[in-house]
Amino acid sequence: MSPADVATTADALMRLGASTAEAVAKSLDAICPEPVERGDVTVVPGEDSPFDGFPFEDGPAVAVSVHYVDGVTGGNVLLITARGARAIAAAMGESPAPEDDAQPTDLELSAVAEAANQMFAAAASATGVVLSQGVEIAPPDTRLLESADAAREAFDATPHAVSATFRACGEPCRLVQLVPNAFVVRMTRALDEQGSEQLSGGAGLSALGIADRVEPGEERRLDDALRDIRVRVWAELGRTRVSLGEAPELPPGAVLELDRKADDPVDLYVNGLRFASGRLVLTDEGEWALRLEEVAGRTAPAAGPDNEGALI
Amino acid sequence: MARVLVVDDAAFMRKVLTDALVAGGHEVVGEAGDGDAALAAYQDLQPDLVTLDITMPRKDGLATLRELVDIDPTARVVICSALGQETKVLDAIKAGAKDFVVKPFERERLLGAVEKAVA
Repeated sequence: MSPADVATTADALMRLGASTAEAVAKSLDAICPEPVERGDVTVVPGEDSPFDGFPFEDGPAVAVSVHYVDGVTGGNVLLITARGARAIAAAMGESPAPEDDAQPTDLELSAVAEAANQMFAAAASATGVVLSQGVEIAPPDTRLLESADAAREAFDATPHAVSATFRACGEPCRLVQLVPNAFVVRMTRALDEQGSEQLSGGAGLSALGIADRVEPGEERRLDDALRDIRVRVWAELGRTRVSLGEAPELPPGAVLELDRKADDPVDLYVNGLRFASGRLVLTDEGEWALRLEEVAGRTAPAAGPDNEGALI
Repeated sequence: MARVLVVDDAAFMRKVLTDALVAGGHEVVGEAGDGDAALAAYQDLQPDLVTLDITMPRKDGLATLRELVDIDPTARVVICSALGQETKVLDAIKAGAKDFVVKPFERERLLGAVEKAVA
């Protein structure tokens, strides 16, 4: 495997891991009474087990697994302490978290499975967006596991795995994505296709990871070929979600609250990929413009008279 | 008041749906945990309405809905979907479902969908 291949695989796994982890975290946010603490997203080296290091000391953990049934192969495992599982079950039923350390009941396990079903449906949808095709999931399977070794035996090993850690309902929680080679190939191909559609310059190639995946000469040729392509650029104030049923029924005058505060930066998108963020300003002609503060992870130095950031 | 058959593979969701429907003045005449059980229960119980989960083992909600509509073209079905299953929901509406709710749902939204479907 060449260094370029390694970078491509790692990039695909990280993109997959990050998008799935965020979809799961958002679903948990909607369930848990307290905001979910996001931890690390890690591509697990092939020789390691993605279940190592999970705190099994306090008793068996609950593992909910969901595999894909259409679109791609692979699966996800959500691992959470028994106490955390019961807290999620209580939150699903809008009840206070239990204070004793009893093992989860069948109904509580069913609630956690349902929570996982909702999380992984959202995650599959996010993955489907990247792959530009629908991804369906199977019903969840729930079990109690005594140790990391038991977890390793319970789930078929895959060539790749990504681990994401959270703290949900005050308890440690881990999302493990078990990723076959075929999935990585599909993912890298989709990312490459998106990259070739979305990039218009050397800075973009580098910032969006494409430059790391091609040879220097190839990068220049790609850069030259893409430089003149015109792309759609837009700024996003914020987002919210309504159901498909509610959307057409919204009356004129309805107020939709977005997920951003008034003084939060506004995101800039290049053909659907978040590329920069900045502040809305008014030009002398009375038109909206965006003063960029961060571009592809690079933060602008403090604004001053000689350095006010690019204006779009 | 409607006589409702609740279909979901998760016992927890069957309980949530049943509690919400009963609180809304409806009668839950039966529960089923998969598509085949749902089809059998429908023919036995002749409910006014079915709440139908999408993701179920063996026979999923969409396949169950299609068979149900074959058995009874006037069947009234409200789909219970998760976020991210919009394509399946659209397929279900095309196949004859009257409405849908997205989990986690507000009780009022479920009751509104049920009342609209049986009106």
